[in-house]
Amino acid sequence: MPTKSIRAEFLKGLWAENPVFRQLLGMCPTLAVTGTVITGLAMGLATTFVLIFSSLVVSLVKKLIPSQVRIASYVVVIASFVTIADQFLKAYFYPISKAMGPYVPLIVVNCIILGRQEAFSSKNSVGRSFIDALGMSSGFVLALLVLSTIREILGAGTFLGSQVMGPWFKPWIIMILPAGAFLTLGILLGIALVIESKTKRD
Amino acid sequence: MSLSSRMIIVLTAVGLISGGFLAGVAKLTKERIAFNIQKEIEEAIVNVIPGTVQNQKLYEEEDLSIYGGQDESGQSIGYAVQSTGIGFQDKITLMFGINVSLTKIIGLAVIDQKETPGLGAKIRDWNAFLQFWENRNATGEIILRKPPAGSLEELSPMEINTITGATISSKKVLEIVNFSLERLRELQKEGRLEGKPDAN
Repeated sequence: MPTKSIRAEFLKGLWAENPVFRQLLGMCPTLAVTGTVITGLAMGLATTFVLIFSSLVVSLVKKLIPSQVRIASYVVVIASFVTIADQFLKAYFYPISKAMGPYVPLIVVNCIILGRQEAFSSKNSVGRSFIDALGMSSGFVLALLVLSTIREILGAGTFLGSQVMGPWFKPWIIMILPAGAFLTLGILLGIALVIESKTKRD
Repeated sequence: MSLSSRMIIVLTAVGLISGGFLAGVAKLTKERIAFNIQKEIEEAIVNVIPGTVQNQKLYEEEDLSIYGGQDESGQSIGYAVQSTGIGFQDKITLMFGINVSLTKIIGLAVIDQKETPGLGAKIRDWNAFLQFWENRNATGEIILRKPPAGSLEELSPMEINTITGATISSKKVLEIVNFSLERLRELQKEGRLEGKPDAN
């Protein structure tokens, strides 16, 4: 693994190992908070914060933690950063925090984060773990943005709260309901697979 | 060192460090979070009793808080009643303003709700729902108008238009308001609304 260049380490999170489109991890927040772009973006950034700091801490202390208790230790580290993110949002972005409801505390159980600690940070240097976390969270933010943009425009006719569709447009309410999340995600996964198989063949 | 003692030491240390760290963060954000919640309530009070410049909490019980609002001259101009009840999927917290003699609802605001986006969540929407709550006759029960009337003028003073596609959410809001109204009348009879302003 250390043979990979820094650039490749970062880029793999965006496409080849994109947490949402390729690894299908973190589906719960992906589906639940992408009804509007602002909540999708806030979830992406909160997850980015938690993932980067958890990866830094885990890669720093990896040699001190006996492998029998590693998962428990990782979860405590992750939960601490999630609590910080939650408190911060409540204190400085109260309306967004309210709109996201229980999904900020639920970042604790987002598989992307624990998955990266187990698969990467616990085996790699601090620098590489940071790049990996940055790439993975960028991939996650990107996926949430694509999903929430499609859902907000079709479901409410708005983008970031401002009207983008003309008065002729009747919002498709299904797009901001859970069913719309599944439909959009399914179609996007299909597109990702088609692109992947096309590029492989070349 | 044996493995089990190492495990215990590591887990204890991780727990202690994270606990200490979080205590610090909680201390830093606590005031600001309390301020946000307080501000939200203050804004809702002014929203449901326009013209309020100061308010006191007069009464509190589970799922019901009553604030008294005064205008610039210190005259009582109404009560703001914050009430929580069951909605379609989860709790709804709302606040309505009512005049001092409890005969007229001045306005309604929704503070917290988790109704279906695009349907039940319209209970927060001015045009779809909240506008109908202005100046309702509160001497009896508020009634739901279904199918909804075409305009505000067609509604009788005790009626509220149903949100199309969200009858249950509309009904639940009415239930919460009607329940609180009844409780409010009881409390007034018992003389518990003539605040001695709350010490807090």
